[in-house]
Amino acid sequence: MALFLTQLMNGIGSGAVYASIALALVLVFRTTGILNFAQGEMALYSTYLVWFFTQRSVPVWIAILLAMIISFIGGALIERILIRPVEKASPLVLVIVTIGMFLAINSIAQVQFGNDIKILPRAYPNKTWLPGGVQISSDTLVLVGVLLAECLILYVLLNRTRIGLAFRAVASNPESSRLAGVPVGRMLMLGWAMAAAIGALAGALVIAPVGLQGASMQEILVYSFAAAALGGFDSPLGAVVAGLIVGVAGTMTTQYLHAVHDIELVVPFGLILLVLLVRPSGLFGSRRVERV
Amino acid sequence: MTDVRRGAGARRLRAAALGVAFVLVVAACGSGRSAPTSTANTTPGGSSTPGSSTVVDASQCTSNLTQGVTGDTIKIGTSLPLSGTYSPFNAILKGESSYFSYVNALGGVTVAGKKYKIQLVSKDDAYDAARTSSNVDTLINSDKVFGLFNVVGTKNNLGIRESVTYPNCVPDLVIASGAVQWGNTQYPFMLGSELVPYPDEMQVFVDYLKKNKPNAKIALLYANDDFGQSYRDTLKDLVNNTSLAIVKEASYNAEGSDVKAQVTSLAASKADTFVLGGTLLACPNALNAAHDAGWKPLIYMSGTCVSKLLFGLGGDGADGVLSVTPLMDPGDPANASSAAVQLYKNQVKKYAPDADTADGIVAYGWSTAALLQKILESSPKLDRVSVMETARTLKDVSGVGLQLPGSKWNTNKDDWFIGETFQLVKYNKAAGHTEKIGSLTDLDGKTASLAPKSLLNS
Repeated sequence: MALFLTQLMNGIGSGAVYASIALALVLVFRTTGILNFAQGEMALYSTYLVWFFTQRSVPVWIAILLAMIISFIGGALIERILIRPVEKASPLVLVIVTIGMFLAINSIAQVQFGNDIKILPRAYPNKTWLPGGVQISSDTLVLVGVLLAECLILYVLLNRTRIGLAFRAVASNPESSRLAGVPVGRMLMLGWAMAAAIGALAGALVIAPVGLQGASMQEILVYSFAAAALGGFDSPLGAVVAGLIVGVAGTMTTQYLHAVHDIELVVPFGLILLVLLVRPSGLFGSRRVERV
Repeated sequence: MTDVRRGAGARRLRAAALGVAFVLVVAACGSGRSAPTSTANTTPGGSSTPGSSTVVDASQCTSNLTQGVTGDTIKIGTSLPLSGTYSPFNAILKGESSYFSYVNALGGVTVAGKKYKIQLVSKDDAYDAARTSSNVDTLINSDKVFGLFNVVGTKNNLGIRESVTYPNCVPDLVIASGAVQWGNTQYPFMLGSELVPYPDEMQVFVDYLKKNKPNAKIALLYANDDFGQSYRDTLKDLVNNTSLAIVKEASYNAEGSDVKAQVTSLAASKADTFVLGGTLLACPNALNAAHDAGWKPLIYMSGTCVSKLLFGLGGDGADGVLSVTPLMDPGDPANASSAAVQLYKNQVKKYAPDADTADGIVAYGWSTAALLQKILESSPKLDRVSVMETARTLKDVSGVGLQLPGSKWNTNKDDWFIGETFQLVKYNKAAGHTEKIGSLTDLDGKTASLAPKSLLNS
């Protein structure tokens, strides 16, 4: 039982990261209808920024905050400069643009910061508790805490502020919003900006314990995509719940499903495939109905 | 009122499908397994020409045997991960480039009485075997290199076997992998470097257990690629018919380094011994995870992880970890007075100022470059067949790079492995470097017999 609960905690810890990145994917998808394959690499770049600042003796929490602010601005600029011109293009073009960004950002990060392993200072002490043999680490608690904070802030922002109202209006119907005087362009930028900032935070926290290098975010992105697909690409709540499900499914597979050991990645792929076949809108996504 | 957005549903579904396709492609690139296996069942020396004392059969070669030698320059190619999960192995390139710069500054290597400068052409393969193949193709056919040097990775070298063997006859020298497949006599143009062959690692650790912990219950973590499989297969083989037992094993995705769930599972097995057949970040991650779980087994970690950086990342969990190395630890103050270590440190500082000279991975690159020089200089003629034949008949080679004092490297018709003399070491966290355990282990000529035949000839 203790083993089961420990693996559950491990799963929730990883799941919280997948959920954060999935949340970023959902924010972008809700506003611009794009699957941003570069989300993970944007987070990677932001994490390199955290490292860059800490190298210059900036305290780590301040470094994370600075990286989040820069990422917020960077995300908005990416939307304005790279995405806006192709906004109305076919999905294929958009997929190609974001995959191009995926490759470009990864390469730029490695050219700019080098390809050695970077060691990020931890933003909090590394502790492990073993109540009743169940292993709970400060990593898991911090990641879950940060995820909850993100959810709370997003909830308040989207549901309790004028900006949030405008944002939701744009997400639901950009044409009418434009007619009603909502600054649609700025809202789209806001979606990308928030996504980039969330990614920065998640990246910095998840990478600190394990060392930063060029491929740090790639496996995480795969799981986050599975989470976003499972939860529904337009549902923030879905992203969070599904992120945790995917994380727990991953650790439970490792622990109990020996048939797929050696190929754990089959779990997220299987989930993506299953969701697309059975319920393309995801668990929490709204089904699209078309009028013919 | 339904949410109406013309075509949005179909459009998004299509985009999602594309997404899945992309993700699958990324994963497929990552999990490239081994090259086709050969069915031949030969033993070392078996393929040498009957009635001849040579290993390499020149009559089967049709390539230009002096390709890559122009004027006073020898062009050598290498492919290694400079990006991606395995990019930290770029430290190897820093070590080898420094060595070649150092040798070139002295006039170059002397082959058959003539001095040649070494020109190293390096290409990034991100540890992706498909990219290694295409890099090697470019290196051989467009860059026109003489041979390959220190190409990194087990699956990566398995994937280029057909390009370097007869009739192309391109020396794939001192491969950066300790896999036993380099003993497959069907491919005489491939030779592993001084890295300790993985079965030898397992042998020395199993011997250590028999002596110090005869009833050890072993938990094994390995990378799910050809590299990790070498550890798993040889350990299983060696544990057979002993009082040792493998009580639990788990693999991790070799394209990532997340091993927490695996280590939790292994820790729960109550094993008292932990063998870590992984590399780079998976090593410290596993050590940290074991430490966090309150699990305190005797740990053996792959020799490919013997690096100041990786031990350092392992934190408290790295203290007391066992491993092996064929080289002196440049971070150990006890070696600071060695002339070889001083030369290494001075030259690397000069030619690769951003490299950490205390790091074992840089020292490996440096020493392997020195080994290539040794092979070239021992060759009676500068052509592919002569150089390969020389590499296959090394006699008591010592003092190469940071080679351990007292260590002798040999190869011959029946011995296809170099790094069979090595030191068992233990990491001392407080001191920040490794410490010797006992004297040198000498398994010279034994690797092929230690390895499972199925693996050797795969």
